[in-house]
Amino acid sequence: MSRSSTLFAGLAACFALSLGLCVLLPQAQLGSLSPDFKEEDGRITEVYPTLTGGIAAAGREVYISQGCQACHSQVVRGAETTDMERGWGVRRTVARDYLFENPPVLGVRRIGPDLANVGAQGWRNEPADDTARPAKRDSTWHFLHLYHPTAIIKVSNMPAYKGLFQLRKITGAPSLDALALPAEMAPPEGFEVVPKAEAKSLVAYLLSLNRSHPLKEAGAVAVAAKKN
Amino acid sequence: MTEAVFNEKTRGSLESAGGQLTAEQRSAVDLAVRPVVVWLFLTSVCWLLLATGLGALSALKLHFPAFLDYTCMSYGRLAPAAHGAFVFGWCSTAALGVASWLLPRLSGGVAPGITLASLGVVLWNAGVLLGVFANIAGNIRPIDGLEFPFASFVLMVGGLSLVAAWILLGLNSSGTAGLGAMFVTGALLCLGWSLFTGNVLIATKSVVGVVEQIVGAWTASGVLWLWLVPVSLGVCYYIVPKVTGRPIFAAPTGRALFWLYFLCAGLLGANRLAGGPVPLWLVSVSASASILLLVPVLGAVYNLFATAKGSEQLVTSPSLKFVLFGALLLGVASLGSAFGALRTINYSVRFTMFESGVQTFLLFGAVSMILFGAIYFIMPRLSGCEWLSSTLISIHFLGAAYGACMGGAMLVLSGLASGSLLSEPDSTFSQVLETGSAYYWGNTIAYGILWVAYSAFALHFLLVALRIGQPAGEPTLFRVKRGH
Repeated sequence: MSRSSTLFAGLAACFALSLGLCVLLPQAQLGSLSPDFKEEDGRITEVYPTLTGGIAAAGREVYISQGCQACHSQVVRGAETTDMERGWGVRRTVARDYLFENPPVLGVRRIGPDLANVGAQGWRNEPADDTARPAKRDSTWHFLHLYHPTAIIKVSNMPAYKGLFQLRKITGAPSLDALALPAEMAPPEGFEVVPKAEAKSLVAYLLSLNRSHPLKEAGAVAVAAKKN
Repeated sequence: MTEAVFNEKTRGSLESAGGQLTAEQRSAVDLAVRPVVVWLFLTSVCWLLLATGLGALSALKLHFPAFLDYTCMSYGRLAPAAHGAFVFGWCSTAALGVASWLLPRLSGGVAPGITLASLGVVLWNAGVLLGVFANIAGNIRPIDGLEFPFASFVLMVGGLSLVAAWILLGLNSSGTAGLGAMFVTGALLCLGWSLFTGNVLIATKSVVGVVEQIVGAWTASGVLWLWLVPVSLGVCYYIVPKVTGRPIFAAPTGRALFWLYFLCAGLLGANRLAGGPVPLWLVSVSASASILLLVPVLGAVYNLFATAKGSEQLVTSPSLKFVLFGALLLGVASLGSAFGALRTINYSVRFTMFESGVQTFLLFGAVSMILFGAIYFIMPRLSGCEWLSSTLISIHFLGAAYGACMGGAMLVLSGLASGSLLSEPDSTFSQVLETGSAYYWGNTIAYGILWVAYSAFALHFLLVALRIGQPAGEPTLFRVKRGH
């Protein structure tokens, strides 16, 4: 065999090893996962996870297109880290949680908090006894936070997504969607700030994020839940 | 004519020096590849300025989010566009330029089809351009390091195949004999294979859910560790013996390390997903591979420094200085990557800026400096005149070296500081945020320094490409004070 064919063959072998170990084996292990079913009396009562549809699915596209994943992860790690103690989830997230997401927006950096469970009831990013902790992170809270993050969190370096909102003249009765803004950032008299369709779907997506359904492979739900 | 001091005695034993060819033959090959190489370099330098500008803007956005407050100018869109423009626009295009100059020169001939190869250059650049615009417009693939949309990878892989086929078809046994050529050939093949496989698997939905992220991480890590790093090592193995006029210190060991390198470098992908919903064994494989990779990388760095040790050209030759500094930072970056892969360290630094800092050392430090060294070496041979000013080269070297080290260090420190705070459950996330962001100013300033240094280089490059420079014959060297 000549020198260059040895080189080509050797490189091909190295590449094949990498492909086999890092792509084909994980695919063999995780590629055929199915949702978790609960059966009662022969009837399926619970399915997890389910395909995100409708307005939340559109919101996922807004999330990705605004580049939210550059600063927010959607991964809760196990008890060896402080992820759960911070209130970001009650258990670690596992491959089955992301079954219908192509691709899952796992994220690589946490310039902001993890959002894997931001739609769940108990989610928090402050100590459990912090007085600054909002009573509820509902759509009103999210709209205001997206419109003007520092109005809620003083040190936040999240950009204000004003482009997702519309400043419009009030004609007739004020809109039900209009943001209740603090005085210093309130629109001029006779105007109101309302979320555009993108903002509404983005918030619907955020509120749909809840990966706390118990899964046997994720384990340790009870222990972490107690800390909450 | 050349910067190389070609020593007759060592000619026979020189690795990768293309010893069999006469100077006339080499010039003939240079002339034949010139259109493709110069276009690749020219476009890569444009990308360098654009990518660094975008990077500076995104760095500023981290601590000053209200600056240029437009939807398309948010950190989330600028950061992937800047990263893509830097990796695929600057580093990869310049590396392709180096490969299409080096391999034909070592083989002593060029394959036919230079028109197709030029079309490849156009396609490749069109792909990068499309990707950058798509990212800024909000068409982002949420896979770290592969944010460009599929369409832009179709163009890029198409262009790459044309250029790579043209290079590889001209190869012969003597062309792949040296260590430099082995690394460059290996890198070229692996880039094509991994970009093609990864994108096809993702686009055809052959892999779904978490596996899609695993494949994405594997592909993106392949672009760095199977393409940019081995090309850089190849350039070092070519330029260091060539400029110093000495044989490689330990060529047989270098060959063994070459194989160990390619064996490990393909396994690093899952480091980007450590702690995430991926099989634990996969993360362990990647972590072990990044530690094992220290052997071939640090071995190569030692080999290069031992080759150049005590050489006069160390102080005078810009190419050698750039290349060896890059090799040093390659060692630093691989140490950083291995350190971050250790499980207990990973728990705290994962999801912080640590990884970005290591990548700054790798891309702005190692890969870019080595590619600059290669361009300083190659361009005079293509344009027929030497670089105009050694002062401009000095400004470029100091700025690029300082900026890369400062930017990398700031992000690594930010990662370590916020990471250690993050692993204390009593700290609030606001405290973590404030600690980490204390270093963002330094990062932005580093980008500013880099941009100034790169502008000096771009100007100098433009001049030499337009044949404005010193007359050919005497290379432009750093001035040395001769005190004694």
